[in-house]
Amino acid sequence: MFKLLKEIFRTGQATALYPFAPPQTIKDSRGKPEHDPVKCIACAACTGACPANALSMKTDVAAGTRTWAINYGQCVFCGRCQEVCPTNAIALTTEFELAVARKDDLITRATFKLAYCRTCGAAFSTLKEVDYVARLLGALAETPKEAERIRAHAEICPACKRRLDVEEMAQANPVRQMECL
Amino acid sequence: MNAHTPLRIGSSYVAALRAKLPHAVLEERWQTDRQATITVKLEALPEAVRTLYYVHDGWFSTMAGNDERGLNGTYGLYYVLSMGGAEKCHMVIHAQVPEDKPEFPAVTPLVPAAVWYEREVRDMFGLEPVGLPDARRLVLPDDWPDGLYPLRKDSMDYRFRPAPTTDAENYPFINDAKQETTVVPLGPLHVTSDEPGHFRLFVDGEDIIDADYRMFYVHRGMEKLAETRMGYHDVTFLADRVCGICGYAHSVAYANSVENALGIVVPERGQAIRSILLETERLHSHLLNLGLACHFVGFDSGFMQFFRVREKTMMLAEMLTGHRKTYSMNLIGGVRRDILAEQKLTTLKTLGELRCEVRRLVDILLSTPNIGGRVTNVGRLDPKVARDHSPVGPVLRGSGFRRDTRADHPFAGYLSGATPINVQTGCDVLSRTLVRVSEVFDSMAIIENLLNDTPAGPILTEDFTYTPYKFALGFTEAPRGEDIHWSMLGDNQKLYRWRCRASTYNNWPVLRHMLRGNTVSDAPLIVASIDPCYSCTDRVTVVDVKKSTTKTVAYKEMERYCRERTSSPLK
Repeated sequence: MFKLLKEIFRTGQATALYPFAPPQTIKDSRGKPEHDPVKCIACAACTGACPANALSMKTDVAAGTRTWAINYGQCVFCGRCQEVCPTNAIALTTEFELAVARKDDLITRATFKLAYCRTCGAAFSTLKEVDYVARLLGALAETPKEAERIRAHAEICPACKRRLDVEEMAQANPVRQMECL
Repeated sequence: MNAHTPLRIGSSYVAALRAKLPHAVLEERWQTDRQATITVKLEALPEAVRTLYYVHDGWFSTMAGNDERGLNGTYGLYYVLSMGGAEKCHMVIHAQVPEDKPEFPAVTPLVPAAVWYEREVRDMFGLEPVGLPDARRLVLPDDWPDGLYPLRKDSMDYRFRPAPTTDAENYPFINDAKQETTVVPLGPLHVTSDEPGHFRLFVDGEDIIDADYRMFYVHRGMEKLAETRMGYHDVTFLADRVCGICGYAHSVAYANSVENALGIVVPERGQAIRSILLETERLHSHLLNLGLACHFVGFDSGFMQFFRVREKTMMLAEMLTGHRKTYSMNLIGGVRRDILAEQKLTTLKTLGELRCEVRRLVDILLSTPNIGGRVTNVGRLDPKVARDHSPVGPVLRGSGFRRDTRADHPFAGYLSGATPINVQTGCDVLSRTLVRVSEVFDSMAIIENLLNDTPAGPILTEDFTYTPYKFALGFTEAPRGEDIHWSMLGDNQKLYRWRCRASTYNNWPVLRHMLRGNTVSDAPLIVASIDPCYSCTDRVTVVDVKKSTTKTVAYKEMERYCRERTSSPLK
């Protein structure tokens, strides 16, 4: 009994006054993921990595948009999205107070414009993603003309790329080349 | 030339089986150096399991049913034995049940430890264990339609919830008492914490003559979910959520099972970090149980002190992983977050403080005058009963058996021979509590050693290829005992089958024997001494059974009686 009383006096007050005092957070804590739509290119890497299906991507061809969304009600705060994001557009914070009055408020959306193939006109990606690829590969180009060619190539959809590749190969006359070998 | 010669530890058991049952052993396949799957003829199954269990010091770890009709036209049964003899290894007895005759000879009459597993495989796959005396359902609710077997590949979508077939309560509880007894129903709330489980105590006056219980009210369909909706690399995050207390042990066990199946070598530092986190988890889990032990003997100040100290381990987990619980640290091939120098120093400092505080609190708890009377010789688990039913963890070690997965089958960062095993021989609530107390101090020492000795290096490897239909076991020693997972990969970046067995699943069946002969007021204390975990045990199907509550003793009332031991609710 005496030991217990000693322990209680030694401890003093063990609890914090939260919510009347600021919460004690640890900087390594994994909390609410924050999305930066300016950096995001809507590549969908995060939606593939999310184990809880909290992240989703929906394409509306009629409206010409692709909508990225996060449902904080489903999020498990694992941070896989942050690991796979190529542009650092999503990052975990230490915020944890996520209660809302309406369920819909748990969902955050970002809408992006679709990119259309310069050859066939079909929607195949978002403008920002095409631009990101063109800039990334264009940085390797030695001349402005080469950069322009890379950009033009990035704006072609995968189906047309395959078709054009076949046509190009046919023009190069592979039969003659085989004979040379 | 292959420079690596497989060790094949456990070959002597295979040889012994071949000698004992000539012509019955059809095939042996080695998953790792210490893991073999032996296919036997169906009629030889019970004898093969019995031989390994009783002749070669095998312990029943788990049994996995598997719908392999799409692969070879049969259902597979995999009886997993953890061998405790000279050659420490896992032996898996595999038998094939033909599709057109879904029955097999029950192992339970020879090895009682198999009883829950065989009831479960009947519920989930519709395979009839011939000779099993217990014909009741285990996992499926009483109002589940007949002939709908959730884990058969062609039976149902994982989101399907069939309409209840009856409103009546028709689960028969078993009472072996010879004399006339009064029935005390407890639950659907659990007698030690607010989780669902239904207990029937059969009493004579204040003495418990027999007890039976019904679990699995909150099955969450995790095995089915993992097989259908998730990629194999996502299941580590699902496994984290099997349990709210010791989820990380499941995550490691799952990752280990896939790593064993694919032969992935996890970097040393990744393995050490896994062990450090497993021990952090054990610290908070054991401190929680010690707190509850105080609570149930009516020593609530002690309960609050233990929970105050436990908070330090929660902060530790949050700093090292980012979360207090559900660490989300594992990927197949390693871990996601390294331990930085600054975090290492904070951890060592916190452990130092923790050691002093826990020592003082344990001192206070054990010197409380009435504690001895409440916990000594209460809830005895006879070693003979334990040997027949294969309980795990502190429940088993409290009855004098030297078994600990960390020492017997070293995994993650536990080095062979370096992990101490804590044993008590009192077989009662006190012994189980003392085992947990010693393990708290051992855990701190293990964390300190690993933090100081582990060299820097990579924590994750991605150097592996997903190979269809490979399978293996993964195992960990969770705070409540051995967790064991059996995983088979599919051909679509998913799992073909995931069998996840939590430690408490093996501990429930012996509880009945522990309750017999004690008084009603000790029941909550005895239940708490196995440190039960309902969510671990309940994995398979979401159900909501309507229960009559009119005859039920309220949980609060029962708990009050256990603490104060005055005004019995039975009078």
